[in-house]
Amino acid sequence: MSSSNPSDSSAPSGAAVLATAPALRLDGIRKVYGTGENAIVAVDHASLTVGGGEIVALLGPSGSGKTTLLSIAGGLLAATEGTVVVGGEDISGHSPRELTEFRRSKVGFVFQSVNLVPFLTAEENLLVVSELAGARGAARKQARTRAKELLAELGLSHRAGNLPAQLSGGERQRVAIGRALFNSPALVLFDEPTSALDTKIGEQVMELIQAEMRSRGTASVIVTHDTRMTHYADRTVRIVDGVLGLADAAGDVSGDH
Amino acid sequence: MFLALSEMRRAKVRFGLLAGAVGLLVFLILFQQALLTGLVNQFIGALKNQSADVLVFNAQARKNLEGSIILPDQAAAIAAVEGVDVAAPLGEGTFTVLAGGEETDAVIFGYELGGPGAPTTLIEGRLPEVGGEAVASSRNAADGFDIGDTVTVVPNPGGTATTFTVVGLAREINYSVSPTLFTDFAGFETARRAVNPDATQVLPSVMAVRVVAGADPAEVADAITAAVEGTEGLTRQQAVDESPGVASVRQSFSVILLLFYLVVPLVTGLFFLIVTFQKAGALTLLRAIGSPAGPLVRSLLIQVVAVVLSGAVLATGLFWLASLGGGGGLGITVEPMPVITTTLVVLVLALLTSFAAVRRVLRIDPIAATTGAGVQV
Ligand SMILES: Nc1ncnc2c1ncn2[C@@H]1O[C@H](COP(=O)(O)OP(=O)(O)O)[C@@H](O)[C@H]1O
Ligand SMILES: [Mg+2]
Repeated sequence: MSSSNPSDSSAPSGAAVLATAPALRLDGIRKVYGTGENAIVAVDHASLTVGGGEIVALLGPSGSGKTTLLSIAGGLLAATEGTVVVGGEDISGHSPRELTEFRRSKVGFVFQSVNLVPFLTAEENLLVVSELAGARGAARKQARTRAKELLAELGLSHRAGNLPAQLSGGERQRVAIGRALFNSPALVLFDEPTSALDTKIGEQVMELIQAEMRSRGTASVIVTHDTRMTHYADRTVRIVDGVLGLADAAGDVSGDH
Repeated sequence: MFLALSEMRRAKVRFGLLAGAVGLLVFLILFQQALLTGLVNQFIGALKNQSADVLVFNAQARKNLEGSIILPDQAAAIAAVEGVDVAAPLGEGTFTVLAGGEETDAVIFGYELGGPGAPTTLIEGRLPEVGGEAVASSRNAADGFDIGDTVTVVPNPGGTATTFTVVGLAREINYSVSPTLFTDFAGFETARRAVNPDATQVLPSVMAVRVVAGADPAEVADAITAAVEGTEGLTRQQAVDESPGVASVRQSFSVILLLFYLVVPLVTGLFFLIVTFQKAGALTLLRAIGSPAGPLVRSLLIQVVAVVLSGAVLATGLFWLASLGGGGGLGITVEPMPVITTTLVVLVLALLTSFAAVRRVLRIDPIAATTGAGVQV
């Protein structure tokens, strides 16, 4: 962990990285919570480029600004300064309505805690946003087919009609991954996807994430504070006190926090 | 639709209980309203269901039949007012009668046969045609007031008993919650003399007026009040609504009804607010992954409508069952209009009170999904 200004790290070493436009470009992102004496600088002048299909691990201790940065990248939170471009779309100046539409169609999220609607089955959890957005007729039929296919791919066909409470932690996380992939986003953001799982299940979930991202060529940012998880990524970016550190090649991260 | 129905399907007990509670409350509203209508009918059905367009009271009687008498020169003056076609005497009094072998109190109305003041809701038999015949309130048919029964006015010492034969039954013509007979004015006079043998003259309680074709009863009533000293003309509807007993009964009931009308929407509003708090995490998640707020609000309102309508269906069923039981002899009948109006009023109020929950949904900040907080006020 060294240089305080790694700014652009768009030359990843990952083999699967495609030569297309970057999936995510963060430029000079700064996020300040609160004002005056209470102001907290959660992210400071962070710049990061994630190539198409690239898997980036964002590694840092608790409170370092990982979730904040991820939320900014996903259009959930407005940065105080800086530019966010996702799949060529500059969302920095988007209205709340445009951001809602953006989140629905362009990115996938797997959050740290609540990821599923408790009163919807696994399949309905995949479908719910397209239903709420008013999918009708052919589009609706297509969505149902896609939900079934995705669940099959994630090995959850037999669980399609189960409520989240009837699923194991690993299964729930798989459904969450399916939900994040449902709209075929170019970028999926994972916030500590294995923190609630035991090591073995956590590794299985990471393997699944890696396989799914690779086979689709979907770029992803995986937030973690666990160095054992970074080898599933093409590249690891460190964050400490809101400042991005040097990028290392996958698995080469030494030291911990 | 999708979200609203899925949620209700998975929480049948919770939503079922609310619909049940709403159903019971709406049933109570319907029952109370029917009870009120029934009671009012028992108090002044005789005024409501008689044929006079205008009833002229003595001004000092304060719209109370029992305290009203019309003097002969007043009667003559009333008949002369413009717009009056016929002005006929209508007498009313409460008497102790012998009916079905038992002594009971009954109200006797005496009207001019063929003139205004005749009962309008005959359901069996015919109107009286000669002296000694009467139409009775159908509600009391079984108590010795059925067609063919004779009812005898019990005289005071020195008086002569007089007897009426029931020749017809009319619906909702009770007065003062007593069995009621409509007979000719002469019959009413004999009944009065039976209990008050020294009476020199039996005066009508009110004048029953038929207005000329095309005249507005309200205008004629006002014209009579203005033209004839010491009288007060009231249309049939006014006489009913402003009758002293009715007004106070209506008032007591309306307080209770108002409370019920407030409780139903408060219960639903609170329920949906709590449910919305409980599922704040899920709603936040949905907003975070790109659901607009509109469909979430719509889904909430769909649930409000579904709960109130199921409650209303349940209430109508209960109400119907209660009406089969006769509602304790109060003659409760299921009519579509009160059911529909009550349902609509409750629905509108419930939608208004669910505004608190709606506002909660609209205030969700999708960023909360990243912390799992969700439940922020
Ligand atoms: N809504 C907020 N208001 C104020 N401070 C916040 C808020 N969210 C996060 N922070 C602060 O910003 C810093 C970074 O938080 P976060 O991005 O959640 O870190 P991480 O995900 O790496 O644990 C922390 O110091 C945290 O306390
Ligand atoms: Mg975090």
